[in-house]
Amino acid sequence: MQLQYFLILAAALFCIGIFGLITSRNAVRVLMSVELMLNAVNLNLMAFSNYMDGQSIKGQVFTVFVISIAAAEAAVGLAIVLAIYRNRDTVDMEQFNLLKW
Amino acid sequence: MASLLLQTIWLVPIYSLIGATLSVIWFPSITRRTGPRPAGYVNALMTFISFVHALIALQAAWNQPAYELSITWLQVADLNLTLPIVASALTVGAVVLITGMNLLAQVFAIGYMEMDWGWARFYSLLALFEAGMTALAICDSLFFSYIILEVLTLGTYLLVGFWFNQSLVVTGARDAFLTKRVGDLFLLMGVIALLPLAGTWNFTELAEWAKTAEVNPLVITLVGLGLIAGPMGKCAQFPLHLWLDEAMEGPVPSTILRNTVVVATGAWVLVKLEPVLALSPIVLSATIFIGALTAIGGSLIALAQIDIKRTLSYLVSAYMGIVFVAVGTQQVDAALLLVLTHAVSMGLLVMSTGAIVWNSVTQDVTQLGGLWSRRPISGLAFVVGTLGLVAFPPLGGFWAMLDLASSIWSTRPWLAGLLLVVNGLTAFGLVRVFSLVFGGKPQQMSERSPEVHWPMIMPMMILLGFTLHLPLVLQAFSLLPSWVQLNKDMALLLIWSSILGGSLSAVLYLGKAVPKPIKFPWKGLQDLVAYDFYTPKLYRSSIVFGVDLISRLTSWVDKYLVDGMVNLFGFVTLLSGQGLKYSTSGQSQFYMLTILVGLAFLGIWLCFPLIAQLSLDPAISSLLTSISALWSSRTAG
Repeated sequence: MQLQYFLILAAALFCIGIFGLITSRNAVRVLMSVELMLNAVNLNLMAFSNYMDGQSIKGQVFTVFVISIAAAEAAVGLAIVLAIYRNRDTVDMEQFNLLKW
Repeated sequence: MASLLLQTIWLVPIYSLIGATLSVIWFPSITRRTGPRPAGYVNALMTFISFVHALIALQAAWNQPAYELSITWLQVADLNLTLPIVASALTVGAVVLITGMNLLAQVFAIGYMEMDWGWARFYSLLALFEAGMTALAICDSLFFSYIILEVLTLGTYLLVGFWFNQSLVVTGARDAFLTKRVGDLFLLMGVIALLPLAGTWNFTELAEWAKTAEVNPLVITLVGLGLIAGPMGKCAQFPLHLWLDEAMEGPVPSTILRNTVVVATGAWVLVKLEPVLALSPIVLSATIFIGALTAIGGSLIALAQIDIKRTLSYLVSAYMGIVFVAVGTQQVDAALLLVLTHAVSMGLLVMSTGAIVWNSVTQDVTQLGGLWSRRPISGLAFVVGTLGLVAFPPLGGFWAMLDLASSIWSTRPWLAGLLLVVNGLTAFGLVRVFSLVFGGKPQQMSERSPEVHWPMIMPMMILLGFTLHLPLVLQAFSLLPSWVQLNKDMALLLIWSSILGGSLSAVLYLGKAVPKPIKFPWKGLQDLVAYDFYTPKLYRSSIVFGVDLISRLTSWVDKYLVDGMVNLFGFVTLLSGQGLKYSTSGQSQFYMLTILVGLAFLGIWLCFPLIAQLSLDPAISSLLTSISALWSSRTAG
């Protein structure tokens, strides 16, 4: 097992997250894709912490923070989605294009 | 006293300018209650003062060396512009002629302009003319002559456009200004090109220079042609002659002044430039050619006019043409004598016709007739004017013509023949006008035609007397040839040409043998002459057409190409703003994509050196080549 395999895996996960973020029509799935991207970041942090900084494992501390912030962000995100849903009765991203030119 | 007046001859133009300035008081918008007549009286008084001043100065100047005076006008760098004033017998004599003619014209105008409110404007312009012409007469510099000629051009524009609510007046004034202006501009080219050659603009120094000058013949020919172009426009010579015809729309008193002395200003400059013109034989030939063409053409056109003022205006062109011929053949004295006699006689003719028009209303000679029994004084004035203009001894015109004809007889006999023809045609034309206006039966327009009142008759009579006494004056100043030197053959030929032309015309127009109005066998020729060789059409189809076309073209280029180019930038900016705003699609996912694309590009750009140096693994590169080979074979297949 080498560092770069973890990094490549994380990058692949990140890319999948981006793909979901940009293409999903459902707002909840967009939030889910964001979670995927955050998890990819967490993987990176853990891998670097393991291979580069085995002594003071700062990456793991970062990961803990990222997980907690991600939880908060997901809560706020879902709240926003709910707020929009109450107004517009849909969670289709294509319908949220009111602020244009 | 007399010599003091001679030394202050420069005051003469100033008197007129004072009069012109004072006239302003009586503009209808300033003096609203008491009418404009005092403007006329003040100007006539100023002119009278000028006339007396010049007359006394003339006695002092006679047989004396010229009194010269030089006033520095401007000194810049190497250029020293001094205004030289020469008070010789000739220049003071010219001042006397100008002020005298203007005095008569102004008194005539007191009668003629009786029913007009524009005295202040009219008299101030007449005074401006007088100031300009007297200044021209005493100034001895080509440069200042040019300045004065331009001032007079502006004066002509204003004076012809006096009754500016008439549309023909407006077009006539326009043509008079532009035509003379074109000539003046060519003159300016000549004037400017002359300075590096001669180093001076003083006429006397120019004459000195011309005696020994050795210049490139091409250069001096071009300069000379430029110098004759100014007088060509001023003297209404072909092809710049249409303006004088249209200038007949102006008031008659100003016509007196213009036809006698204003057109002669060009001739005056031409005469003074004769030494310079003589440097190039081509220029002299051109002067003769233009003069001869105008003399023949003008006297022919005058035959076919029905407007009484226009019959005279073309004769003015013709006589100025003869002056051109005289200058072209270097007969300067004959030219000056001709200008003098022409001014006096033509002034008389215009006054007479003005008096006829004043209370016969129409200017159409075919509608006039039978005035001789009721208008004897006007008729007499016309007769004496005619005799004074054509070669008829002992009146003035004869001596001028004889002087010219006898001196060119030996060198250019064909020119003398031309002179005879022009003289005969002029006699024919004037007798025709006389016969139509004063002879025959009264017509509707001339049935009740009283003689005019004293302010118009008096100057006419004074001028008539002067015309009759002109030979005596010339004799007193010993300007007439002695009996021994007289070329008697030439004199007889001239007299016979006058008599032949005059009597032929009298037989045709007074006799009943030919039905009136007289039709020429070939109508096209009659129309050609009556319509002035279709000169307006000629102008409109050549110069006016060309300038109009070019100005339309440049206007189009400016409007669409230049403006369009600048507007295009604004338009493109506007359009790009309008088009590019659609990049703000309102889709947050699209924004995320653009952020990503931007990041990716930035990353590639930043890492480009790294990527370029990246050496691919041999296995991967061989894999890539095999894939591309497979791809190309598949697309080929």
